[in-house]
Amino acid sequence: MITRRRFLGQTSFLALSGALPGLFARAALLAATADQNDHILVVVELAGGNDGLNTLIPFENDVYHKNRPVLRIPKENILPLTDQLGLHPAAPGLAELFKAGKLAIVQGVGYPNPDRSHFRSAEIWHTGSTAPTAPSAGWLGRILDHQLVPNDERLRGLSLADYLPIALQAEKVAVPVITQLEQAAGADSPQQKLLRQLSTTPATAEEPIGYLRRQAAAAYFAVEQLRKKSASFQSNVEYPGDLGKQLRRAAEIISADLGIRLLYVSQAGYDTHRDQSTEHPKILGELSGALAAFQKDLEDHKMADNVLVLVISEFGRRVQENASGGTDHGAGSCLFLLGTRIKGGLAGSYPSLEKLDEGDLFHTVDFRSVYATLMEKWLGCPAEKLLGQKFPLLDVL
Amino acid sequence: MELVHFAPCVPGEGEPWDAKGAAAHFLRRTGFAAPTREIQTVFDKGLETAVANLFDESRDQEAEFQHIFDGIKGSFANFDDLAQLQAWWCYRMLKTRTPLREKLTLFWHGHFATSNHKVGDPVKVLRQIDTLRAHACGNFRDLVLAVSRDPAMLVYLDGEANTREHPNENFARELLELFTLGIGNYSEKDVREAARAFTGWHHDGGKFVFHAEAHDDEEKQFLGRRGGFNGADIIDILMQHPALPRLIARKLLVFFACPEPPEEVVHEAEQVFKQSGLNIKSFLSALFLSKFFYSPACRHTRISSPVEYVIGICRMLEVRFPAVQLPEHLTAMGQELFAPPNVKGWDGEKKWINATTLAARAAFAIQLVEKYSENEFGPHLDLTRLVPDELNQPKMIVDLLADRVLEGRLENNKRLDIADFLITRNGMRQLDGFRNDGEFRGQQIRAALATMLSLPEFYAY
Repeated sequence: MITRRRFLGQTSFLALSGALPGLFARAALLAATADQNDHILVVVELAGGNDGLNTLIPFENDVYHKNRPVLRIPKENILPLTDQLGLHPAAPGLAELFKAGKLAIVQGVGYPNPDRSHFRSAEIWHTGSTAPTAPSAGWLGRILDHQLVPNDERLRGLSLADYLPIALQAEKVAVPVITQLEQAAGADSPQQKLLRQLSTTPATAEEPIGYLRRQAAAAYFAVEQLRKKSASFQSNVEYPGDLGKQLRRAAEIISADLGIRLLYVSQAGYDTHRDQSTEHPKILGELSGALAAFQKDLEDHKMADNVLVLVISEFGRRVQENASGGTDHGAGSCLFLLGTRIKGGLAGSYPSLEKLDEGDLFHTVDFRSVYATLMEKWLGCPAEKLLGQKFPLLDVL
Repeated sequence: MELVHFAPCVPGEGEPWDAKGAAAHFLRRTGFAAPTREIQTVFDKGLETAVANLFDESRDQEAEFQHIFDGIKGSFANFDDLAQLQAWWCYRMLKTRTPLREKLTLFWHGHFATSNHKVGDPVKVLRQIDTLRAHACGNFRDLVLAVSRDPAMLVYLDGEANTREHPNENFARELLELFTLGIGNYSEKDVREAARAFTGWHHDGGKFVFHAEAHDDEEKQFLGRRGGFNGADIIDILMQHPALPRLIARKLLVFFACPEPPEEVVHEAEQVFKQSGLNIKSFLSALFLSKFFYSPACRHTRISSPVEYVIGICRMLEVRFPAVQLPEHLTAMGQELFAPPNVKGWDGEKKWINATTLAARAAFAIQLVEKYSENEFGPHLDLTRLVPDELNQPKMIVDLLADRVLEGRLENNKRLDIADFLITRNGMRQLDGFRNDGEFRGQQIRAALATMLSLPEFYAY
């Protein structure tokens, strides 16, 4: 039933949009089609295949210690979460988040017939599909396509890594890479200032020049908003490393409240075929510190309730270490979900270390169950439609 | 019927073919943007010679390219790697003496779109491009038949899975919907019947094979006809359908002439294409000789595609730019060769432009102007040839560049802004510094050039 109040609301909106040209009408339309929610998802990709076994460590399991004579972490150094499992000593930040109930660790995540190629396995994770022909849009891109409102020209997704991941490739929406945006629109160099001035004015011109100028102006405007709003962002938190830099940028952008819903960051270095005992703690330490800093910053700015972080990697590593003090490509691994709205704790079950799939852990949770859970319970999208298949949801939200 | 828009353009009688702008337009649209001396040659020789030259077989370099390719495949370059294969096509486009053929090959690549992301075999996708090139300006029927037997296409649209027992409609549907008639000109039954006719059209060892045992030779009903049709019969029936010349002629018009051609022009184009017996060369000759092609409706009304942008700049400025570095730029601009986004190909025109692709174009321009290795081995943009050293009046330099790059299409106040930029160092105007400090002068001119290459005026193709 249309109440009088709602009816009035509609008429005034129609009247308004008829009276105002161009952008104003569009803004009115946007106000009328308010977002389903203002939830934000930040995806952190650990590129190279994180060694889940040395991240969430089954320290009471002899098979672990036997298979990892060099790389094993002694029980006394492990940060215990339960009487069986603990985190790598390089990750105290994550252990604290776990104790505070803000971190969920999903165990044994993977997919059937795991592929040990970085490229192919990453493609499977990015597209959310194991079909031999990968869909042209990624799983996040499909969310953006699904949520697209006609004439909504706000930025909805953004990659803070220096490339556009397959996950964010969409069919109807252009997802920018922030470095490209800044490179083009950086107002710093005189050449860029000149280009901006010459390529955006005067706004009215013959087609297609008029169209090209409007597009250029919109791109500059988006970047300017990012800059202006993020310039006023103040933070008392120290973020470690390059991942920290990307996550600090994410916090700035979230505070700018531009309508962005999906953010992508990436950390490299997880392909630890050799000398894992020096390399892995470094990157795991940076990950732990950067995530803890990000969470604290969001809480300091009262933004934490709208933000959720998903940490993924294309595969885990072989149970048995190799002869170079490293580990080779494996299968099932663990992933993290972080945020104040998360049900903290362990989800799924730890894969058996004895019953292996060609030396690798069998997965116990399909990664698309995690995607489906986020789609349904966090971003308000129909998971079965976007994933082309139904997956059981996890009790983490 | 009397042709109005396709009536020949008569040079010298107040017709548009009376200025170098028309010659530049001709070269840009039939191939890629060209250096001044090529524009001059075309202008001097006249329109008819220029059009005849487009199809001049004696310029063919197929043997030469094949020789180079065979010499470097596997031993110098890894053409199993898609990026290196893309670079190879870029190299051909940079070097070709028959740019129309490459441009048409690109057009058909977008029309019969096939992506290596599904085919997963660089040999097949390269062979498909060779097939498209060989048939690029011949008869449309021969082209469609060749594509229907092409192994990459047989993989891409699941022809290999199309059998009497289990007909697969994927190829038949796109053949009708996208390749020949357009939606609304056939029924679902026509799709199913056409699929039956193509059963058994498979591939083996990189070649087309006909598996008689998988072919359904029973009677089919297709577009109102009955018979034990095979795939070639279906194609022949399609060629007689009235919707076909319109779909293809319109698409060629949009690609070569005008992004939104008026209905009366499309109607004439359809007639011209039909009367040519669906001969692509005849149709394009008529188009490139027509009044319409040189009218304001066609001049600078398109938006350059990434390939036109990148290859055009390199050819126009005669830059030595390593082809191996081009594919990543093209991909960033939204045109990954051998990998159109879906079976519809690239949407093109306005869809090329968004914040990211604009940024990618500007980033390419900046990289390009910085190419000036001093030896013959590296990439090189010869600034002295573009702007003589003795020229030191800033506004004259800007005028020269605006002529060379934008055919003079730049408002005077913008020229003055660029002239100001040329002599500004650390926020101060320094005309003497610009004249006396060669390094500063060169750096400023290169930055001004990159700016012009990133302007909407330049993208308006």
